[in-house]
Amino acid sequence: MLFHRGLSRISRNLRGSLNGTRRLLSIQEQNHQSLQSHHYHTPTGSTAKVMRSLAFSKGLPALHSSRYQIHDQSSSISEEELDPFSLVADELSFIANNLRAMVIAEVPKLASGAEYFFKMGVEGKRFRPTVLLLMSTALNLPIPKPPPSNDLGGTFTADLRSRQQRIAEITEMIHVASLLHDDVLDDADTRRGIGSLNFVMGNKLAVLAGDFLLSRACVALASLKNTEVVSLLAKVVEHLVTGETMQMSTTSDQSMEYYMQKTYYKTASLISNSCKAIAILAGQTADVAMLAFDYGKNLGLAFQLIDDVLDFTGTSASLGKGSLSDIRHGIVTAPILFAMEEFPQLRTVVDEGFDNPENVDIALEYLGKSRGIQRTRELAIKHADLAAAAIDSLPESDDGEVRLSRRALVDLTQRVITRTK
Amino acid sequence: MLFSRISRNLRGSFNSCRWFLSVGDQNHRFLFSHNVQSHTDSTQQVIRSLIFSKGFPALYSSRHQIHHQSSPIVEDEHDPFSLVADELSILGNKLREMVVAEVPKLASAAEYFFKMGVEGKRFRPTVLLLMSTALNLPIPKEPPPIELGGTMTTDLRSRQQRIAEITEMIHVASLLHDDVLDDADTRRGIGSLNFVMGNKLAVLAGDFLLSRACVALASLKNTEVVSLLAKVVEHLVTGETMQMTTTSDQRCSMEYYMEKTYYKTASLISNSCKALAILAGQTAEVAMLAFEYGKNLGLAFQLIDDVLDFTGTSASLGKGSLSDIRHGIVTAPILFAMEEFPQLRAIVEDGFENPENVDLALEYLGKSRGIQRTKELAMKHANLAAAAIDSLPESDDEEVRRSRKALIDLTHIVITRTK
Repeated sequence: MLFHRGLSRISRNLRGSLNGTRRLLSIQEQNHQSLQSHHYHTPTGSTAKVMRSLAFSKGLPALHSSRYQIHDQSSSISEEELDPFSLVADELSFIANNLRAMVIAEVPKLASGAEYFFKMGVEGKRFRPTVLLLMSTALNLPIPKPPPSNDLGGTFTADLRSRQQRIAEITEMIHVASLLHDDVLDDADTRRGIGSLNFVMGNKLAVLAGDFLLSRACVALASLKNTEVVSLLAKVVEHLVTGETMQMSTTSDQSMEYYMQKTYYKTASLISNSCKAIAILAGQTADVAMLAFDYGKNLGLAFQLIDDVLDFTGTSASLGKGSLSDIRHGIVTAPILFAMEEFPQLRTVVDEGFDNPENVDIALEYLGKSRGIQRTRELAIKHADLAAAAIDSLPESDDGEVRLSRRALVDLTQRVITRTK
Repeated sequence: MLFSRISRNLRGSFNSCRWFLSVGDQNHRFLFSHNVQSHTDSTQQVIRSLIFSKGFPALYSSRHQIHHQSSPIVEDEHDPFSLVADELSILGNKLREMVVAEVPKLASAAEYFFKMGVEGKRFRPTVLLLMSTALNLPIPKEPPPIELGGTMTTDLRSRQQRIAEITEMIHVASLLHDDVLDDADTRRGIGSLNFVMGNKLAVLAGDFLLSRACVALASLKNTEVVSLLAKVVEHLVTGETMQMTTTSDQRCSMEYYMEKTYYKTASLISNSCKALAILAGQTAEVAMLAFEYGKNLGLAFQLIDDVLDFTGTSASLGKGSLSDIRHGIVTAPILFAMEEFPQLRAIVEDGFENPENVDLALEYLGKSRGIQRTKELAMKHANLAAAAIDSLPESDDEEVRRSRKALIDLTHIVITRTK
């Protein structure tokens, strides 16, 4: 069927998530997300396209649940009973259902297309919504009414909670829309590929489905009746587009600063601004809103930096075992940028580009000699610590739920660093 | 060969440019646009000064029509466009500022259709600025003149201008995406953005414009207005989706067609008119009248557009560009003809890739009352639009009355234009 074939190209990104889903089902009731996604521009010689459990190389990655990690690592991050994901599992499936309902369009074909993405892509990777829901609870500071529990009782607080859940939904819609649009191919690409109508159709569906999600996000945003939040999340869309364009443009500015700016736009802005939106909806002060923002921002940056490292090291600590997907696509990430500071000769190689696999090997050599990997990790840890510090700076709370959520958020900052996938 | 395809659209605009230069100093906009998908045999590609088959069409200025037609539509001093010419050029500058992006590549893409000379006819902003004045009903302060004096009323006026800016940004964003979806080569007489800079950048630029529009919307701090225009964004997508994914039953349904036309064409202008009324603190009734004007004007326009695609500048059939039918887009005249000649339906379902089917359809169309009925329907909507203006609360203010007359004039221009 045309639709299905067209989707096979779109699902390129989601192929990995299918694997993730299978794994998901086999590890029972946890909110276990091991997500694989690839963001390829033009698939050239795709022999070594190893799916890595990256997760949003453009967004936030999925994390393994605590139980999984405890089996795989000796360093226990937290007590066993604190699984950040299971804290919000029920709410997450509530949100997923809402999202599906929201996505039902007047034109069924598109709805099934958009839903497809939510089923396969987003459902497995509920990292952002997890952070946002935890943040919602974490920001439940004393107000005239008692703080809400995780169930959806009450009226006023349920109202606030639903609104915060709506932020989580909107965030996911924006995220998926941007993935779809980032994958739009130019004519050269469509022709080079299969060149069939389905391929082109898939391209158009991607545009339309992305538009559909963005428009739904707009409507959902409007329904919150808070123009500050509208502005915040509109800015996020601008950032995503800007970040992607920065990545698309070959630039001679191969500086760490440019790279971090791009990373903020592409990865951290969404989560930082939605955290801030959560705070604003909760009527929190500007200081608290800024702390929420800082948490999201630093968590996002830390994540991406470790992501960069893992692309080189993979599950082992040693170099070259990772999928090397970034470098093969000519995407120069933090480890290489740091290495370039130590070895200016590497710059020539980088400028030449990585179509020639020999250049990849040379770059790896320099990288190995340099402190690139270590410095990237250090920077990631610095950001993770900043994120944790932001949580610690929140106004004190005696509430059990609030404290638990905050601990979970701090846990996440450590998981982001110590994950090996 | 590729070039001849591209120049297809430009041929006409060159002619129009010459025309333009010879007709003096008006805010005369002569726009061509084609949304051509991959083309089969293009023997009769007559350029018509259509304009956004998906959006708003360009209108001739009054002076031009006086030269070319015996029936004068409006006197010169009531040229709707010249009433707001100054404000429009300020608007143009503002828009250019508002779409500046950080990354150079994105910046050139975003500003592509806001540059001088390719802003299009700016029909929507014209309607909105006229409507803003038309809705200037007595309030504690004096109604403002069109220049930007005053304080509170300026504030209202700037907010209403902002609606016009937002509307243009949303409109251009949708054009950018539509051109990607249609594989269009040209737009507004120049290469389409996707053609010039690639599909992906065009899509990203559209998203960028949308995000800027949303930020501007939020800055109005009016949640009702935000909801209205968010709904429009949704409608635009729905309309485009309806066009791309019709079943054969839907393609043959007048009701479906009108719904799609509302979503793709009329919703933007109707809801922005309504937003103006809301910003002006008008009653729900007045807001609804503004809405009705926009909606009916938009529908009337699209229907005449459909007719012109068949008739072109002549009153007879087959002289138009036939662009819709060649792209398999079934419009009102054919739908009406199908009601009289059920056999036509089989041809429609067969599709129009085969040029013989086009000829057959034209034959049926000629025998039917399809063209006439479409014109009648357009007139009905144009009259409804005019009636909405007439129903507005009385005003003694000169500016208000002039703007209202201009709005009514537009409803006539929409119908009587021959391009």
